[in-house]
Amino acid sequence: MRTHVTNFDLRLRRRSLLGYTFGTAAYALIIVVLYPAFKSSTSLNDLVKSSSTAAALFGITGSITSPAGWLNANLYGNFLPLIMLLITIGYGASSLAGQDEEGTLSLAATLPMSRRRILGEKVVALVVQAFVLAVANMACMFVGRGFQLTIPFAHLLGATVGVALLGVDFGLAAMALGSWTGSRGAALGVASSLAAASYLVSSLAPVIHWMHPARFASLFYWSVGDAQLSRGLNVGSLGVLVAVGACSFALALWAFNRLDLH
Amino acid sequence: MNSVMVADGLTKTFGPHRGVTDLGFEVQRGEVFGFLGPNGAGKSTTIRMFLGLVRPTAGHAVLFGQDVEHAPTSILARVGYLPGELALHPRLTGSQHIEFAARVRGLEDRAMLDQLVERFGVIVDRPVRTLSKGYRQKIGIVLAFMHDPELLVLDEPTSGLDPLMQDEFQRLVREKVAEGKSVFLSSHELDEVQRVVDRVAIIKDGALVVIDTVEGLRRSAPRTIEFRFARDADAERFRELPEVRVVNVEAKRITLVLHGPVAPVLRVALDFEPIDVVARPADLDELFLTYYRPQGAEIGDGAR
Repeated sequence: MRTHVTNFDLRLRRRSLLGYTFGTAAYALIIVVLYPAFKSSTSLNDLVKSSSTAAALFGITGSITSPAGWLNANLYGNFLPLIMLLITIGYGASSLAGQDEEGTLSLAATLPMSRRRILGEKVVALVVQAFVLAVANMACMFVGRGFQLTIPFAHLLGATVGVALLGVDFGLAAMALGSWTGSRGAALGVASSLAAASYLVSSLAPVIHWMHPARFASLFYWSVGDAQLSRGLNVGSLGVLVAVGACSFALALWAFNRLDLH
Repeated sequence: MNSVMVADGLTKTFGPHRGVTDLGFEVQRGEVFGFLGPNGAGKSTTIRMFLGLVRPTAGHAVLFGQDVEHAPTSILARVGYLPGELALHPRLTGSQHIEFAARVRGLEDRAMLDQLVERFGVIVDRPVRTLSKGYRQKIGIVLAFMHDPELLVLDEPTSGLDPLMQDEFQRLVREKVAEGKSVFLSSHELDEVQRVVDRVAIIKDGALVVIDTVEGLRRSAPRTIEFRFARDADAERFRELPEVRVVNVEAKRITLVLHGPVAPVLRVALDFEPIDVVARPADLDELFLTYYRPQGAEIGDGAR
């Protein structure tokens, strides 16, 4: 399999990817190390229970002092998806529309390779970036075993895959929007807005009755919002995330094949 | 099949006043074809359709006998493209760009690549952002020529190059033509084109206005003739002549711009006892500017 475009784009993104990954890993380690200090804090749980709607806004549901609750409240429910989306939506918007606006996309597009291949290799670069961040974060969780923070491996793996696919799906959406509009700004803005709406729906659905059915429309629900750290990523959720990614890829390919390049 | 490049009713519409309309031309194998026009005339749009970057609204862009819109992208392996405004990734080096293109092209013989780097003094080991426009353009020359393509599509290729490098580039183009390669050379500068091309197409406001050889254009280019007479001359007699425009009349002195043969003018002039005549040679620049000027501005305006 030829991966020249993938390698080229990963080289372009290397610094920012490493920066985000090390920064997030450092934050994750702090969360892990702090866990024993909060593990037995009943007042913290009481606070969350008494302000469940406010807590939900920060992605916190259920017990915050259990290992899964602690990690979900401080990392997997909010911070990690946020960083993940910064990376993947940023790349999705810049890899096609952004490079076209700069004029650099024609470097690849005037070489003997199809747009399908260009897009396919860029999607591989997107997937690599998402999994580098997610797996680095998962590696930090193994340190948690020394700090009474133990999550079953299968659950941790499920949440890792879930958060990576969340990023891939929104990155693909940004690619599709960028190919459709030809505008990096539009791709960035619309994909970010969709992600924010998705986050709000998934977070508030458990505490706001009328929003409850809407959670199924949120990718956050299928990736990190359905207690994946406690129960793992089920096949249905995995299927939804993969299917949404496949649809976004098809849309991106359709739009990219029709995009006039600079 | 001798045509390597054919535009057949090629049209691209971006808006009411932008794009190109119904272009038709052929570039023969081994030919250097000049594509001239002012900025914004539609030269780059035309080129982008041939490279598959832009889809035509109507008509066909044909390379090596295949419609670009439906041809496999492997057809681009036979083409080298050099844009005038070459966009490179600022943080990457020249060699990283060149290596990327070489790998995608599956380039095994790197002799041409190494020769080009040496010949043009290309700086390959520094980030592109630290290089001047001329040095970035040299990287573009390597990218366009390194695989020894059958067809070179050059869009304002010498922009940013110093005069020495411009000469070297012209030599390179002539060498490629001598080897039987075809060249499509787009420019807004007559000088850049007339030294190397066989035929020229001039595009204005998205439409072709003329296609001819340089010699053919020169034959039809306007000549300026200035007469000094022994007695007052009747300018009306000259105005009545076809293909003649009187641009200046002073006492016993008349200046004309002539598009056709000179004999009718001389016959009229003899009636007024000419004592001196100054004729400027066929002015290709003037012809070229005629096509460039907005409609309404006429030949000879610049001579007044």
